[in-house]
Amino acid sequence: MKEQETLEKEVELIELPPAKDTHRWVAITALLLAIGVILHTISPNIGGVTPNWTIAMYSITIGLTNPSFPQALGIGFVAGLTLVPSSKSAFPLGNIASELTGAMVAALVVKSMLRMGLANFRFRPYLTGFLATMASGSVFTFILKLILNLPLHVYIYAMLPVVATVAVLNGFITQVLFAPAQKLFFIQGGRKK
Amino acid sequence: MKNKAVEFKNFYYAYNGDELALKNINFGIREGSFTVLLGPSGAGKTTLCKAMAGIIPYYYGGRYAGSVEVLGEDTKGRRVSDIAMKLGLMLEDYESQLVSLTAGEEVSFSLLNHGFPPEEVAERTRKALEDVGLPGRENYQMDELSGGQRQRLLLASVLAVRPRVIVLDEPVSAMDPEGAVSLYKLLYKLYQKYGMTVVVVEHNLDFVLPYITDMIVLQDGQIKAAGCFEEAAEKAYADRELRHLLPALWQVRLELEQREGIRLGSWRNIGEAISELKEKFGRVGL
Repeated sequence: MKEQETLEKEVELIELPPAKDTHRWVAITALLLAIGVILHTISPNIGGVTPNWTIAMYSITIGLTNPSFPQALGIGFVAGLTLVPSSKSAFPLGNIASELTGAMVAALVVKSMLRMGLANFRFRPYLTGFLATMASGSVFTFILKLILNLPLHVYIYAMLPVVATVAVLNGFITQVLFAPAQKLFFIQGGRKK
Repeated sequence: MKNKAVEFKNFYYAYNGDELALKNINFGIREGSFTVLLGPSGAGKTTLCKAMAGIIPYYYGGRYAGSVEVLGEDTKGRRVSDIAMKLGLMLEDYESQLVSLTAGEEVSFSLLNHGFPPEEVAERTRKALEDVGLPGRENYQMDELSGGQRQRLLLASVLAVRPRVIVLDEPVSAMDPEGAVSLYKLLYKLYQKYGMTVVVVEHNLDFVLPYITDMIVLQDGQIKAAGCFEEAAEKAYADRELRHLLPALWQVRLELEQREGIRLGSWRNIGEAISELKEKFGRVGL
């Protein structure tokens, strides 16, 4: 150990961070969104509420990779597209607008927290999932309100509470799945052999 | 004097948050040599292989000093994928390097990523599979290939890029002795055919003894011996902690030389040893 320290003092070592992956975010997004689509298809409806796995999955992706805003837009767009075919709502294309918003909010939350030095805040995934779902759900239901010409109080007192319930559920899912996903995707760092 | 395929100059490396794994590495691998990298577990052999490919330190990060040159070019500032065009690396956990569904896709993966035209990809894939003894298996699914075949497939995907240097980290560690002998025979055939430089990390030197030209001995992250096989083996034999790593035949040879004060030939197989021993000791009554 002493020999090590002496050697390190004698030699001027250059410190280098691990290489930043330029495409890993694409792979992570693709895989997690695919998982999201499968879970979305098979998950049961509990008391009229179904978790939105897709939002939870892109919240995890965004939390893991901290993409730029244009990249987050791309993630949101693809996420919205995956929801269109299976959507039973009156306006399936509304998913694209809502997921674009959700992904942007998730990116905003992640970037803000990182800037505030809250990278290791324990409930960062929960907050990301919750706020992204709130934003996405609010936009989606608002589009429905406009298309179906529903009164404002229906939107506020009937639709938004459901959105909030799903958001709580999604926040929980994001929180629970974040750590395993992080372990799976970020094994880089080198191993001594 | 031959050019160096890989050259380490005053190279030091430590993984993030860890102590030095490689210390003051200074050696060159001759171009066209069949070099074996030898050392006890934890000596830094895999780290050294990764440093040749530029993965260390430029992908993993960490702390380093000095430089590594591949075919005369510093790995610093070069992309790992560019270095891979000159130096192919096959890691011990070969399964983790396989990424495709079929043998053909696997071999063509790196070629397509490097932007080769489709006709050349198809031709190189066909040739590489043929070279490793898997001709016409382009459409085979991974699960239709045995472990040994999958390993040869990985070798094919490294060869398809036609690197001038190929580095293999314990390529036969999961193989039975017959499989190991057959893989090294194949590797030697390719080494002769293409005149490339081969660097192999191997624990059991008995498998590679007929082919070795040079040897590097590593211990605790430091080079203990490097150069032509005969000289490096003698140096390693002088160290009690390293001598057991040498091929059994050479342990006998060096022990005899020491005990009898004679010089023996550079045995590469049991036949050569027997005939020389008969010749030398037959006359002295041994």
